[in-house]
Amino acid sequence: MSFQTLKVLEAFLENPGDELSGADVHKRSGIASGTLYPILLRLESAGWFVSRWEAIDPASVGRPRRRLYRLTRSGLAHASGVFASFGRGIPV
Amino acid sequence: MNAHDRWFDGIARNLIQHAARKTPPAFSERLGEEWLADLAVRSGAFAQLRFALGCCWATHVIAHEFGAPVRAAVATATGKTTAVHDAGSEPSFSRRTVVILVVIGLHVLVICVLAAAIEAPKVLKTLLPPRIDVSFVPKPAPPVPPTPVDAKLDIIRLVDPPPPVGPQVPPERPNAIQGQVTEAPPVGPTGPPLPGTVTRVLGGPGAGFPKTDDFYPQSSIRLHEMGTATVSVCVDGAGRLMRKPAIDQSSGSGRLDEGALRLANAGSGHYRPTTEDGRPVSACYPFRVRFQLRD
Repeated sequence: MSFQTLKVLEAFLENPGDELSGADVHKRSGIASGTLYPILLRLESAGWFVSRWEAIDPASVGRPRRRLYRLTRSGLAHASGVFASFGRGIPV
Repeated sequence: MNAHDRWFDGIARNLIQHAARKTPPAFSERLGEEWLADLAVRSGAFAQLRFALGCCWATHVIAHEFGAPVRAAVATATGKTTAVHDAGSEPSFSRRTVVILVVIGLHVLVICVLAAAIEAPKVLKTLLPPRIDVSFVPKPAPPVPPTPVDAKLDIIRLVDPPPPVGPQVPPERPNAIQGQVTEAPPVGPTGPPLPGTVTRVLGGPGAGFPKTDDFYPQSSIRLHEMGTATVSVCVDGAGRLMRKPAIDQSSGSGRLDEGALRLANAGSGHYRPTTEDGRPVSACYPFRVRFQLRD
């Protein structure tokens, strides 16, 4: 797993219930769009994320709908496992 | 949004729409809308342009990863088996498109550099302070220091505190831990008391103060970490902490500092209060906690 993928997962693990758009993940992780969106699609196709369109009317809000990503239950378990394998959270 | 920003915004939107069209059909519409929504969040022409160029790169990666199976499935379904290999290796951007993108990027860079060069003097003018004319004038006479009204209140002497009550250093034993609590050196002159002064004796760990060994972090023992932390405490006249202790000078180890703070907290009620002319008063003072392992 690449360092950038870990950063993306870390952004979601800050609050696993959060739904984040690509722009939100960029703000939290600092990963550029060229790397970020392929990672989001990759993790979604692997079942770690699910995504949905933001429930707004673009015409009334005056901006396009955002695509919101959320960790699935299995994604959360996998991501937590990955970070636990690095020793994170183990008191020294 | 001024004309300059609108121009960059238009380029970024066009790049994104172009990039989205080049992604596999299953993602094309979705990514176009998603990227345009995320573009709207970016502020600043450079950020938007960088985002759009990033999307172009994302298209390349997505087409490479997700495009081949889709095309293969389409080819199999339509019986065009001969087209599978060619379709799978087809680049998402033609060489001509890449060259055009590079040329556009270089032009944008040159325009931005020129714009920055033109704007620089104006910006500097606003940033630099206004010109000040300087002339030499005679130096004014130094102000006369005010005379003290009440010497008793102005002079407070700090004297060495008496030795702490009770043994703080445990008896030496093989492979033992040695922790020690000592008062930090007093600040100020020492000597015989002057008439009209208040004699102040700084407090410190008193009788019944917890043993340092009990607060030596186990992880530090395992790692053979040793050091001395200076902890600042505020103690009332009854020897109780008035607020949370703080690290004045770190031992160099966060674990040891944490142990020193826990010790200082646990000692509340067992501090020897600071005295002024023998009367206990509230005061803040530092003391040192030494964590040491003995072989």
